[in-house]
Amino acid sequence: MIVALPWISLLGAFVMLFIPKTNLSAQKWLTLSCCGISAFIILFLTLQFDTSKTGYQFLHRYDWLPSLGISYQVGLDGINLTMCLLHALVSFSGAFIATSGGERRKEYLFFYLILTGALYGVFTVLDIFFLYFFYETTLIPMFPLIAIWGGKNKGYAAIKLAVFTGAGAILALVGLLALYHYAGAQSFDLIRITEALKARPLPLSIQAWIVPLLLAGFGALSSFWPLHSWSPIAYGAAPTSAAMLHAGVKVGPYLILRLVIPFFPEGIREWSLWLAGIACAGILYAGYVAIRQRDLKLIIGFSIVSHMGYVLLGLAGLNAVTLSGAVLLLFSHGVATACAFGLIGHLSDQTGTNEAEDYGGLSARAPFWSVAFIMVSMASLSLPGFSNFASELLIFIGAWNQFPLAVGLAVFGVLITAVYILRMVQKVCYGPVNQKWPELRDLRTFYEKLPFILLLTALLLFGFWPQGLLQYIQPAAGGLLS
Amino acid sequence: MNLALLCPEFSALFVLLVLMTGEMFNKDFSHKRAAPTAIAGAGFVLLTLCFRFNAHGESFSGSFRADVFSQSMKIFFAAAVIPVIQMTRVFFKDRLKHPGEFVLVLWSALIGMFFLASANDLLLLFISLEIVTLSFYIMASFMKKELYSIEAGLKYLIFGSLASAFFIYGISLIYAAAGTTLFEGVRQFASANPGNQLVLLGLVLMISGVGFKIALVPFHLWVPDVYEGAPTPGVAFLSVGSKAAGFVIALKLLFVVFVFFESGREALFSVLAALTMLYGSLGALVQKNIKRLFGYSSISHAGYLAIGLATGEITGVTAVLFYLIAYGLSSLAAFLVICIAGRALESDRIESYRGLAVRSPFLGGVLFIALLSLAGMPPLAGFFGKLLILLGAVQGGYLWLALLGAALVAVSLYYYLSIVKIMIAEEPLNTSPIHAELSSKIILAALAGGIIVMGFWQAPFYTFAENAARSFF
Repeated sequence: MIVALPWISLLGAFVMLFIPKTNLSAQKWLTLSCCGISAFIILFLTLQFDTSKTGYQFLHRYDWLPSLGISYQVGLDGINLTMCLLHALVSFSGAFIATSGGERRKEYLFFYLILTGALYGVFTVLDIFFLYFFYETTLIPMFPLIAIWGGKNKGYAAIKLAVFTGAGAILALVGLLALYHYAGAQSFDLIRITEALKARPLPLSIQAWIVPLLLAGFGALSSFWPLHSWSPIAYGAAPTSAAMLHAGVKVGPYLILRLVIPFFPEGIREWSLWLAGIACAGILYAGYVAIRQRDLKLIIGFSIVSHMGYVLLGLAGLNAVTLSGAVLLLFSHGVATACAFGLIGHLSDQTGTNEAEDYGGLSARAPFWSVAFIMVSMASLSLPGFSNFASELLIFIGAWNQFPLAVGLAVFGVLITAVYILRMVQKVCYGPVNQKWPELRDLRTFYEKLPFILLLTALLLFGFWPQGLLQYIQPAAGGLLS
Repeated sequence: MNLALLCPEFSALFVLLVLMTGEMFNKDFSHKRAAPTAIAGAGFVLLTLCFRFNAHGESFSGSFRADVFSQSMKIFFAAAVIPVIQMTRVFFKDRLKHPGEFVLVLWSALIGMFFLASANDLLLLFISLEIVTLSFYIMASFMKKELYSIEAGLKYLIFGSLASAFFIYGISLIYAAAGTTLFEGVRQFASANPGNQLVLLGLVLMISGVGFKIALVPFHLWVPDVYEGAPTPGVAFLSVGSKAAGFVIALKLLFVVFVFFESGREALFSVLAALTMLYGSLGALVQKNIKRLFGYSSISHAGYLAIGLATGEITGVTAVLFYLIAYGLSSLAAFLVICIAGRALESDRIESYRGLAVRSPFLGGVLFIALLSLAGMPPLAGFFGKLLILLGAVQGGYLWLALLGAALVAVSLYYYLSIVKIMIAEEPLNTSPIHAELSSKIILAALAGGIIVMGFWQAPFYTFAENAARSFF
């Protein structure tokens, strides 16, 4: 079943080509069923997952190009299981929003399904070649999704996203090829490379230059400061469901966890102080910039950059606690971001504007929307009760011994977050009702509400019961370091 | 003498005769039947090649040689000519009295490439190269009433004859030193006397001649103007067939004849590759005409291919061959779309491609796939080609070259995606749909399908390239 995950959506995209343009309901059901079936498979695998074992489960391996050592190998451990759960949740919720209307719907859903399939590919394969292959494949649908269906500045945003992430990807490719070459296993197979490196670790001199290549490459995709400049613009312009997927389901940090930390333990340790510094700079800088923003999508965009700083701090901590915290934060932040983009998209699809000034008093006008929006904002603030709190706490506790100053600054960053988030909530939900949009609708039907109910439930569930996810994550995070 | 070895060449000559006879004796042939006959002929030649794929050996006292490499390249050339013939159909429709003549010239270039692939003697190599180049002089200036086409032809002629002069002068110097033009004889002499200055001078002169064919940087000046002015089918075959022919010569010279030149080859081609990639990518950034842009991008692809020459070994040569196939598929798909769209839009300016994806989703989709494949995005063919080239560079220790190549991929992403952006996201000036003939659609679908299949399922293509590369080692 796990082998089929990426292919369900990719096949769905292929089938989509043959559905007539006017047959909207067939397009809708195809998209929903592809995302739904994949999500159920993930749910099923999660229930089957044996937390008492370490290492990969559900392993399957097919030789692909033996002369270069490429194999199509899939498997799950706690980390990519969590990422798969996140992706399943976000892509399924996004599918409801994607199918709810708009121009050139068929092409949109075609690209949406390719993006979904490619992301499943990234999170299930355990072969460096295919990891990279699926990772860069996510770029192809993102470009038209923004360039055709985007908001203001869409052309510029699409090109900027593609060039930044493309450049990052190809730099990382050189690093990965160097890894393949120096590991000497003549294989792209993740498990074989791990074994080969265990027997004969790379000399520090080689590790020390491959690590920055990979970090810069994957960091550009993760929108780590200072490589973030594409991300607020791109997410500001991206159509709702595409922004949910691309901003919510972050591939870059996962690839750092999977490819950098286990293979270059000494190399990354050399750079960890720098990383912590960059993380703090990112948290504070992006938080400060977010305060100055008036555009709701840009506020969320910069809040992503700021939150990615916490993830980076978790990665830099390099112990089981911070790494678990980083993975849990990827999950909770992804869900919260997707939810926020979905909610803002619901407004801007009706009014065509994202400016905070243009709204006001929505709590009276659109109560369901406002409750959801306030809940998501509180989650971004890492209020206890949402899973963001547990994850940031883990990062702070774990990193305290190594980087006390950085942790202090990061905690201060939480305060900055409070400033811009609370101001945003105040402007949009409270105050006098803005009379500009007499037609503005709340989320009314069950079809409209369901995605947000799903996302918020996940946030609350794992906020009260973080162990539910940590039982999968912690053994795997510990395994990365051994 | 084993004439049976020349089976593919004979079958190609036979098709040429058929085309010529038809052209002479039948009035309608030029308009209606020349292109379908030539496509059928290409199919016939391909079939012959498949049956004779394993017929290896030497003929004409060793100056003609059939091996896996030569047969593979012939398959490449014969397959590449099919979309080009389709382009002549689209491009010259209602423009020329005798469009069939272009097909004839095209076919003679193909025959030149066949002999080139099998040449095992410097003189045969030169003669077949001249057959190819002469045909391209004619093709470049074929639209004799258009100023740009004449300019293209003249430019190609001047630079080309200079390159040919270099090449033949190099051969004469080598003959003076070694006393033979057979590859085997020259190789033995050159390996025994690696310091012989006549040989070295001759080699450098010949490399300059080859550099012209594949558009390496100091010899690239003709490219943008010729690409802009020459008729599109000619440009397409120039960018795929002629470039591949140039690489066939380069591979033969570097890995069969002048094996001793290893360290020189590594130094020379790594520098040339870097310059070529840089020039091509940066030049393409500011282009307004799509054919001119493809001129610059073909220069930058030559740079990537040259990395493969610099790294050498079986990995490098395999990468070159795989990259050529991927580049060929993507370029031909793009040029066929440019041909069809160019007729409908009556312009080659990039700006006129606005909203192409709305006016014809099929053409827009194929161009999208072709451009992304040229940019090296997975899951398309061009990605794996770039990966093999970069892998070779990393394994050969050319990390700086790999990093430079990687950075320039990002640059190329910018100019290819700018076209895509104009094509898919901007409002069309005119919303009338653009129609393509069914035959064009079939060929385009086959090319686009090929790009995707080659990107996903690399094994058969990789094995094909690797087997061909093995002929050198």
